Amino acid sequence: MFAFPGILTLHAIGMGFAVGTSVALDLRILGVAPGVPVAAMRRFMPILWAGFWLNAASGFLLLIGYPTKALTNPVFYLKLLLIGAAMALLVRIGRTVFGDAAASDISGQNASPRLRRLAIASLVCWASAVIAGRLLAYTYTRLTQLH
Amino acid sequence: MHAFQVWLVATLGGESPVADVMRTAWAWPLAESLHFLGLCLLVGCVGTFDLRLLGVARRVPIAAVHRFIPWGLLGFAINIITGALFLLTEPDQYIYNPSFHFKLLFMTIGGLNAATFYLTSYRRVFGAAATLDAPWHARVIAAISLCAWIGVIVGGRLITFYRPAECVGEQTSLLLICAP
Repeated sequence: MFAFPGILTLHAIGMGFAVGTSVALDLRILGVAPGVPVAAMRRFMPILWAGFWLNAASGFLLLIGYPTKALTNPVFYLKLLLIGAAMALLVRIGRTVFGDAAASDISGQNASPRLRRLAIASLVCWASAVIAGRLLAYTYTRLTQLH
Repeated sequence: MHAFQVWLVATLGGESPVADVMRTAWAWPLAESLHFLGLCLLVGCVGTFDLRLLGVARRVPIAAVHRFIPWGLLGFAINIITGALFLLTEPDQYIYNPSFHFKLLFMTIGGLNAATFYLTSYRRVFGAAATLDAPWHARVIAAISLCAWIGVIVGGRLITFYRPAECVGEQTSLLLICAP
């Protein structure tokens, strides 16, 4: 499959921007760059979503390329689960800090304990998803279907 | 350059306590996972700052967004360390690999580009008279930065597809891309 390395490369780039931008938002909530209003981080979210959809598309193509390799590996389902959890956390964090009722969480370092927990959970989910994804290359048992 | 590459591979060795640990079952995958996490941290934090220079979230002071940069540097440090582990274990797989050459080229561009930013734009961007809009040359630097780090990812991700074969016949290319 000639396109495989190219799609894999796009998948790595999309990961960098999707996970990286989400991590930057989490770090901001946890007190990094206190001069940046948390609500202003909303401006960077389009690059996160661009990375996410790039990876949904490139990931789908990788799955079509080697369906047996992924679908027979439990780690693949774990990775999907972790990405789902990370995206659900992102949406919840977004509602809290970008929504209309965000005023109390916007300024300075005073993120609520609940918001901080969400940010830490987000970091853990993303890190686990990236590790699970990387381990797919080492944990598969079948590359293609046995005849 | 050929002799230098051969010397480099011989010097880095591939036979050391580090290489022994890296050849255990899970050390290499673990180091790779850390390398990917470092990538995310680097691209996320440096990319956010680059986008700010390019005009995203332009009401936020540039200096405030710059506070993400140390975390990007942490990602870079993680990747230099994990990258060194790979290089020390299988030096010939990188030193003779054209994709790794491109990765180093883009890393150099990214590094020189960042140095240029601090040398030319620091006062304009962070000084007392700093404005919300970055000067044009800082915007150019930000765009180059984004392209350079994407280039680094491309070069890194493709390393595995350009593993060097044994050299056959005389090599005339500037850099050796086969194992002598």
